Amino acid sequence: MRGFLLGLSSGAVCAAYCTPVLVPYLLGEGRDVLQNFSALMQFLLGRLMGYLSFAVFAWGIHTSLPQDITQRNLIIGSTYLILSGLLIFYSFFKTGRACPSAGGHGIDHRLHDSRPSLLLLAMGLATGLNFCPPFLLAVATAAEQTSLLQSLLFFLTFFLGTSVFLIPVPFLGLLRGFSPLHLIGKMAAGLIGAYYLFIGATMLSGGLYR
Amino acid sequence: MIKEHHPHAKTIEVRQSPGKSFLYALPMMLLTLVMMSGGKIPADPQRIFVFAVTYLFFNLLFFLMIHTGKTDRYRATAFITYAILFIISFISHMFEARGSMSLSQEKIILCEVPFCHLVIPMTLIPAAFTKTIIFPGSITGGFASIASMFTIWIGASLSMGRGWCSWGCFFGGLDDAFSRILKRPLLRKIDPRWTYLPWAVLLSVILSAAAFLSPTYCTWLCPFKTVTEFEAVTSFKILVQTIIFVSLFIALVIVLPLLTKRRIQCSLFCPFGAMQGLTNRINAFDVRIDPDICINCKRCVAACPTLSATEESIRAGRPLMSCMKCGTCVDVCPNGAASFHVRGTPVAGNRNIKRLLFLYTAFLFLATFSGGTIQDGLLRIIRLITTGSMI
Repeated sequence: MRGFLLGLSSGAVCAAYCTPVLVPYLLGEGRDVLQNFSALMQFLLGRLMGYLSFAVFAWGIHTSLPQDITQRNLIIGSTYLILSGLLIFYSFFKTGRACPSAGGHGIDHRLHDSRPSLLLLAMGLATGLNFCPPFLLAVATAAEQTSLLQSLLFFLTFFLGTSVFLIPVPFLGLLRGFSPLHLIGKMAAGLIGAYYLFIGATMLSGGLYR
Repeated sequence: MIKEHHPHAKTIEVRQSPGKSFLYALPMMLLTLVMMSGGKIPADPQRIFVFAVTYLFFNLLFFLMIHTGKTDRYRATAFITYAILFIISFISHMFEARGSMSLSQEKIILCEVPFCHLVIPMTLIPAAFTKTIIFPGSITGGFASIASMFTIWIGASLSMGRGWCSWGCFFGGLDDAFSRILKRPLLRKIDPRWTYLPWAVLLSVILSAAAFLSPTYCTWLCPFKTVTEFEAVTSFKILVQTIIFVSLFIALVIVLPLLTKRRIQCSLFCPFGAMQGLTNRINAFDVRIDPDICINCKRCVAACPTLSATEESIRAGRPLMSCMKCGTCVDVCPNGAASFHVRGTPVAGNRNIKRLLFLYTAFLFLATFSGGTIQDGLLRIIRLITTGSMI
């Protein structure tokens, strides 16, 4: 319960950290609301994997974070670089989506169309490992848990609390009729990817330099 | 239906007689006198001189707009002058206040950074959720406060929409100037998909600003920092940022406008401009193309500096949402098909009255908003000539 409440109380910030990755992707794909929900689930699954792996880590070390700022910069910088790589890949190299007429078929077709995407899972995983402020709070609290199960449950409930704030995002699918948004989404993914590249590179170089 | 192309079409003459032009310009003379003087004529002879020069400069341009029936060339003269003198005035202020153009961490912490309209799109979401303006400027008082810029922006948006980008923005005159240097463009083909880039920049900076609670466009991308103020290079990160914004300035404000004869920074990159395009839908004035008299010569498509006139948009009877109301298409249209228009009125008829109504609004805004800066810039130049220093 504590994890869920913490997630709910800080989820807006969490959403602010996830939307620069998620929104350009969903706009770029130009899918409908249902397909966007499916994409969101894949993204959240990746994020959950990130959270749970950190739950194991937090329980294992019994400490809130790597205390050394160099280590911290290396981890955060690396996640930014991974995110950057994924966004730039999506923006420049991932082409050719399903036929637009697929929207006219049944739900099963549309779900099939939005088959699990490794790209979304990877994006979710990288944002899950990103040390956004709510995540830092969660890690600090999880470090106090005495058992692995408690730590995992804490992160799971925290994840559920924060995910509530991402529910409105799939409704971007309502705008899919406006075709320039697909291009704008892809361009924005590239720009945000470049921004993350600079942040990641400077953090990493700072971390390695020390 | 659009009529066939007429190869020998000549630009339609919409000249007014000098007497009639003077009468039309008279209200502007009175209005600019009140707005620029603020009700009191300066006592210092130097200030009286620059006030008189600025006043005459604006009113001569307005008279010529009415007399010749041309808008863009006189607008551009004022707009470019404004941009150049803004830079002179701003940099002089920075040297007076700080001793350099660079911004120290101390000034950022003390919230003494002048606020500019380009930050506005990034501040809206964080302000809505956190009740905080994510910019180290002062809300009221001081030089270029946040409240004053918001007020001016709202007023300009309601009266001119994206006309702001051709009649109000103190940076726009720079790429406008460079886009006019060559007689013919060296780069002719611009993929129309690039016109969506400002929206992508807007989306990126809004999302990243909301995530990091920092004005990311100002920090990383704004090319105009090159000619105003920038953070002192004290780290590798700031060095990278400096390289980026200087490169963008050279590419988007100087080189590409020069080669393409288009306002590349304003029409293909500026996120504020993209957002401002939305306000084109909610103000009284727009530009219309009357399909009944359009001869499909495509001069407006070739001349539009913001890529807002396309074949599709001509068919639709109006330029794209990105139109900055600079008046270029109206000036080059040989048949008078393109014209300034007041929403809610028929497209045909009273062409001159509608143009006048728009010009009174836009030109008065330009003269009022820029008048003080132009005077200050001129004073700095006079000071430089007479004393050897602008400050």
